[in-house]
Amino acid sequence: MSALRSRLAAIVGDDRILTRTGELRSYEADGLPGYQKRPSLAVFPGTRDETVAVVRVLADTGTPYVARGAGTGLSGGALADDVVLLGLHRLKRIISIDRDNARAVVEPGVVNSRLTAETRRFGLHYAPDPSSQTACTIGGNVAENAGGPHCLKYGVTLNHVLALTVILPDGTVVTLGSPNGEQEGYDLLGAFIGSEGCFGVVLDATVRLTRDPAAIRTLLADFSSVDAAAQAVSAIIASGIVAAALEMMDANTIQAVEASIYAAGYPTDAAAILLIELDGPAAGLEDDVARVIQFCRSAGARDVRVASDPADRARLWQGRKKAFGAMGRISPHLVVQDAVVPRTKLPAVLATIQRIATEHRVNVCNVFHAGDGNLHPNIGYNADDPDEAARVHVAMTEMMQACIDAGGSITGEHGIGLDKLQYMDRLFTAPTLEAMCALRAVFDPDRRSNPGKVIPIHSCSEWRAAPSVRAAAVR
Amino acid sequence: MTSVTHEGVEHIADTIRAARARNEPLRIVGAGTWLDAGHPCADATRLDVSSLTGITRYEPGDLVLSARAGTSLADIAAATREHGQWLALDPLGSADGTIGATVATGSCGPLASAFGTPRDHLLGCEFVTGSGDVVRGGGQVVKNVAGFDLVRLVTGAWGTLGPITEVTVRLRARPEVDRTLAVALDAEPAETLWRWLRESELTPLAAELLSPSLAAALAVGNGTVALIRLGGNETFVRAASDAVGTLGVAHEVPSSVWDRLARAESAAALAVRVSALPSHAESLWQRALELIAVTGGYAHATCARGVVRCVAPTEGADIDMLRTALLRLADGVSIVGERMPAHLWPALPSARSTRDLEARVRTAFDPAHILNSGVLGA
Ligand SMILES: Cc1cc2nc3c(=O)[nH]c(=O)nc-3n(C[C@H](O)[C@H](O)[C@H](O)COP(=O)(O)OP(=O)(O)OC[C@H]3O[C@@H](n4cnc5c(N)ncnc54)[C@H](O)[C@@H]3O)c2cc1C
Repeated sequence: MSALRSRLAAIVGDDRILTRTGELRSYEADGLPGYQKRPSLAVFPGTRDETVAVVRVLADTGTPYVARGAGTGLSGGALADDVVLLGLHRLKRIISIDRDNARAVVEPGVVNSRLTAETRRFGLHYAPDPSSQTACTIGGNVAENAGGPHCLKYGVTLNHVLALTVILPDGTVVTLGSPNGEQEGYDLLGAFIGSEGCFGVVLDATVRLTRDPAAIRTLLADFSSVDAAAQAVSAIIASGIVAAALEMMDANTIQAVEASIYAAGYPTDAAAILLIELDGPAAGLEDDVARVIQFCRSAGARDVRVASDPADRARLWQGRKKAFGAMGRISPHLVVQDAVVPRTKLPAVLATIQRIATEHRVNVCNVFHAGDGNLHPNIGYNADDPDEAARVHVAMTEMMQACIDAGGSITGEHGIGLDKLQYMDRLFTAPTLEAMCALRAVFDPDRRSNPGKVIPIHSCSEWRAAPSVRAAAVR
Repeated sequence: MTSVTHEGVEHIADTIRAARARNEPLRIVGAGTWLDAGHPCADATRLDVSSLTGITRYEPGDLVLSARAGTSLADIAAATREHGQWLALDPLGSADGTIGATVATGSCGPLASAFGTPRDHLLGCEFVTGSGDVVRGGGQVVKNVAGFDLVRLVTGAWGTLGPITEVTVRLRARPEVDRTLAVALDAEPAETLWRWLRESELTPLAAELLSPSLAAALAVGNGTVALIRLGGNETFVRAASDAVGTLGVAHEVPSSVWDRLARAESAAALAVRVSALPSHAESLWQRALELIAVTGGYAHATCARGVVRCVAPTEGADIDMLRTALLRLADGVSIVGERMPAHLWPALPSARSTRDLEARVRTAFDPAHILNSGVLGA
């Protein structure tokens, strides 16, 4: 370790390496509560060249490592269990902004909302807007294929990245995708986005910028039952009106938000609220607003109000974006879940989740991207109470199974990381998991980049044992 | 050349395993309209997937549809139209083309301007690897990041990682009003259209620039014509039509013009796409006009994407002349061949920078390299 340390120190400087237990404490966890893993060493390169040199030393010494952006990930992806942690937050240059072609080239440590702040003067923004956008990095967003409320209309990270320069675990630097013009051959860019740090480290990203909408209308609809709110969601989706965002919060969430410093003026006696945003050119927008209000009323909304001005709008959004934080304040611990169901199944699945919560006596708060069917049933609890912790675990597992049974997925935006490994076998067949291992092996044959994440280890062993692989290896 | 027709996925898997044991090359065949794009491919046994047809799941309220790979785009359009929905993907060619082939070749058309290419529509797919394993990537929901992205990987891979047997796509509601306008543009037409697209907030569903030869063939006007497709509610489309009016005198044309555009070319014609940053649209366009001045044929451009497509007749053409013209076209920009006579392919400069990784992907999924060999070039 000390030999490695001195080689790395020669690249980044002594003060950019941490090895002592106390110093490493801030890097023992990411956004996923309840997990702690200590890295063997943390290294923080300040430039692209330093990053390349560091990864090459890690390759040379066969050292496993975990890339880390802001550490806001909610699946444990940035946890480094006795391996090297490669922190990228210092690579925060916006390299260029091309206003004409509406794109920017950024280093991986650029914070999501900063890119939008820097491009606002051109009337542009970076569309993917995870609720953590004031902290999370573009590198982390690429690795997780991050979403956010406005991805309903504008698409997720995958739809906004045109090219990436990445350094593969063996130290080779490659460009995936093409910053100017179409590229032939396999869509390795698409394969890389969402690979959770297992395929290599992003050195820079060329991203698409989106024109700011000329007009925005934000609506708050208030319902006396979750079911009615879910019916309104279905009606809006089916109508073909593409809302920019369509978010739902249930009574527990509303109360948590209203009791916090992020209080947004949500009706505290509502069973559910919808936060609906419509945007685009002014022409035709009011027609859509009128129809959406009508859908909400028909589904039984008690009240629908339109934000009066930008400040009011910002306040309504602040409550939504800080909802996880608000929940975290009520209970000592919080499990944040992320699953997706077909949108027509929302009412049924929400009812099932409530039934499971009641049965296991846990307190579930639902706050989620309803328009995509992307659920976040979160459970606040006290991890020091073993009985409660056990009930939470059972309830969560049953809720995930209910989403899978409804034809859904176990994650819409937070990734598999460590946290969801246990569900992978339920979602994918063994040959599919083996194919994923095979793809990973193309980029990282030694599985040194973010070891132990995304694919359960036994699937990879099975893949390695498969005759086809042995045959290929022999050739 | 032998041919085998297959009923089910298991049968396809068995065939691939058997072929692999014998090291026998296979050519995957959908509707067979665009088999190898004229690539110099070795003779191979045909693996016919066109019998895998039918929509397997369609819940209109979810705006998601699953279909077996051999299902035609026309069948998907018919089933979804009943519910006021569509798969907003309009690859050039006949609507008898299959969804599997569309995805495998990554094909798109003018609607890509607003809705993107197959990678942006695909939610899940099933395919059979070159080892005969049946793999199901992605899922049936509109947002999904579980596991590594096998779906993007096989999209546009031309079957070289395995025949696609079923796909799940995202649908959209058809716009309330769908109107197409034709407007003639004279000086710097691509620059003018690109600038208009950049500055107008009334984003059209499609905006395709047609060379005079193509505009004449489609009978939409004289000279260079922009075909602009507007979709949305009545108020929006009215405002957007006014905005199109700022480009020049616009007249409405029947939306069947898009079908006619898709079918305009003969199956024997050469087709290539050049692309660059959208701000370079005009220089691409000028090069394309230079090419067709030599070769005959036509050009059309999706200006929002910075892509210009050239279609030239090859019957009786002088191959050396074509080769020289293509090289001039491709100089310094990205070029992708869609269909060409076999001996022209080696002349195309490659727009690929990741050959090594790609070769490893190929070997990982098709260890014996028996699937569609040659179709992606050497
Ligand atoms: C309050 C809160 C709200 C959230 N809301 C959303 C939301 O709405 N939508 C959403 O999608 N997510 C959301 N998240 C999750 C999280 O913010 C995202 O996953 C984000 O993309 C992670 O970015 P990060 O920089 O913090 O990455 P980290 O947590 O540091 O790392 C995440 C993963 O990315 C890898 N990684 C980081 N940098 C690189 C790089 N340069 N190259 C390769 N791999 C890299 C890591 O190895 C790790 O696997 C939320 C999180 C919190 C705490």
